[in-house]
Amino acid sequence: MPYLVSFHLGWLIGSLLLGFCMGWISVVQRGKGTSKVTAWWLAALAVALVAASLAHVVPGRFGYWFDLGLIMFACYLVGCTIGAWLRDRVVSRTAPPASL
Amino acid sequence: MQKLFSWASKWWLGLIPLVVMWGFAAWNNTLPVEADLSARSSAALKDTVLDKTRIAVDGRDVRLAAEAFSEEGRRDAVTAVETVPGVRLVDDRTRLVPEANPFVWNAERDVVRVTLSGSAPLPSMKARLTEAARKEVGGVEVADQMGLARGAPPRFEAAAMLLLDQIGKLKDGKITITDTKVHLSGMARELGGREAIAAALKNLPEGFSIAANEIKAPPYIFQAYKDPVAATVTLTGYVPDNNVHAAIATSASRKFFTEKVVDNLKASIGAPGAFNTAVVAALGALSRLSTGTLVVSDREVKLSGDALYEGAAAEIRAGLGKDFPKSWQYKPEITVKPAAGPVDGTVCQQLFSELLTKSKIRFANKRAEIDPDSAGILDRLIETALRCPTVNIEVVGHTDADGEDSFNQDLSEKRAQAVIDYLVKAGLPPSRFTAVGQGSTQPVAGNDTDEGKAQNRRIEFLVR
Repeated sequence: MPYLVSFHLGWLIGSLLLGFCMGWISVVQRGKGTSKVTAWWLAALAVALVAASLAHVVPGRFGYWFDLGLIMFACYLVGCTIGAWLRDRVVSRTAPPASL
Repeated sequence: MQKLFSWASKWWLGLIPLVVMWGFAAWNNTLPVEADLSARSSAALKDTVLDKTRIAVDGRDVRLAAEAFSEEGRRDAVTAVETVPGVRLVDDRTRLVPEANPFVWNAERDVVRVTLSGSAPLPSMKARLTEAARKEVGGVEVADQMGLARGAPPRFEAAAMLLLDQIGKLKDGKITITDTKVHLSGMARELGGREAIAAALKNLPEGFSIAANEIKAPPYIFQAYKDPVAATVTLTGYVPDNNVHAAIATSASRKFFTEKVVDNLKASIGAPGAFNTAVVAALGALSRLSTGTLVVSDREVKLSGDALYEGAAAEIRAGLGKDFPKSWQYKPEITVKPAAGPVDGTVCQQLFSELLTKSKIRFANKRAEIDPDSAGILDRLIETALRCPTVNIEVVGHTDADGEDSFNQDLSEKRAQAVIDYLVKAGLPPSRFTAVGQGSTQPVAGNDTDEGKAQNRRIEFLVR
């Protein structure tokens, strides 16, 4: 893991920034997101993929790409969370209390 | 938390650019990652002892193929690669180097090179053995054809190093270690080399033993080359000791009266029995040749060259073998020198005088028996007599003043007659010669010193 992080640091920062932007937008974006059921399924899929990665099920280059994808995805999620949380802080600070 | 779920439900849109980025990242980094892990794995294996190591990286998975020299070494190598940061899986294709049974190692020397073959237990030892062989044989090429195998006996390297020290002492030959048995064959480079090797083998490490030592000593060679142009006789090769050396040198200087003796002999052990007798006899035969080469190799004597006349050639061919011990072989290749043109009596007398000034016919003390060392001068006198077939020759004997006059007179006549008998035996007509004895009446030097007496004891040839 530390090796993957240090070797692909640029790409991971890119994923983090992408996630940050996505998170930033997601707070104020109108429209419906994925349904709860789909979200659960996606979460289960993510867990299954992480489990597959840890079990080294996928061999060779595909395994490497798989791990790389997961770690970029993890960075993306972290970026999203940070972006959304910060945006939320900004929005809640600037909005009038009456609207609450 | 509720908010987080609400936000997260909208994050999927970003997955599309993320996937694109992922594609690019994978495209750009696969080969660098593989190269980096390959380099790191190789570096991790630097301190392990392996043979035929091959590292192939697929993604982050490393396939390690190698031959190890012990189970522990094999495990250590796999662990070393497994602990390289970034390596995900190691496909272990390592195996142990095959075990040689019996464990055989050879060092073979021929004229141009030393070849090391068979098995060595470790690559580093293989290199050390090759290096040791290079040092031992100097500029000779060393060919390393050794393979690697397990199963070497304990202290193998010490034994092999000791045997490599001996390879320099061989002219050609082969040294083999089969498990703990050592076999040597071939020929030593120098006399005494065989004995030196046998002595060194006593220091073989514990557990090793000599199965066979068939190292032969080189032939014991003595050579003499008579060069009439340079007027030299060159002696080369070996003599058993300084006493024999001195005896041969003295004998040579008496036999070769017109040539300078160049003595390049070296003392060495290993001479065959009766070496001195045989060499002195053979030098006597060489002294009768106008040009010739004598090679004494162990118990074989080869004499080649030109005799001065046919009778001498026949005598040398037939006679010399009798002087050698029975176990010796004699191979004469004697031809006859083309006869020189005839000369008149005056020139003949001049030639006789010249010859007898340079040397003299020697006899046994107080007797009329011709010393065998005088064969050379007699042959030249005969050759000269053959060039002037029409003249008669008076052979005059002289003695020193020791003893009674009548004895000396008698001795001088007998000695003159003995010389004539020799000439007649060689094929000259007896009618041409007259024996005259002068006793001690015509001294050429004082009789009060040994040197003077030696000069007075003489034979003269007078053309009449």
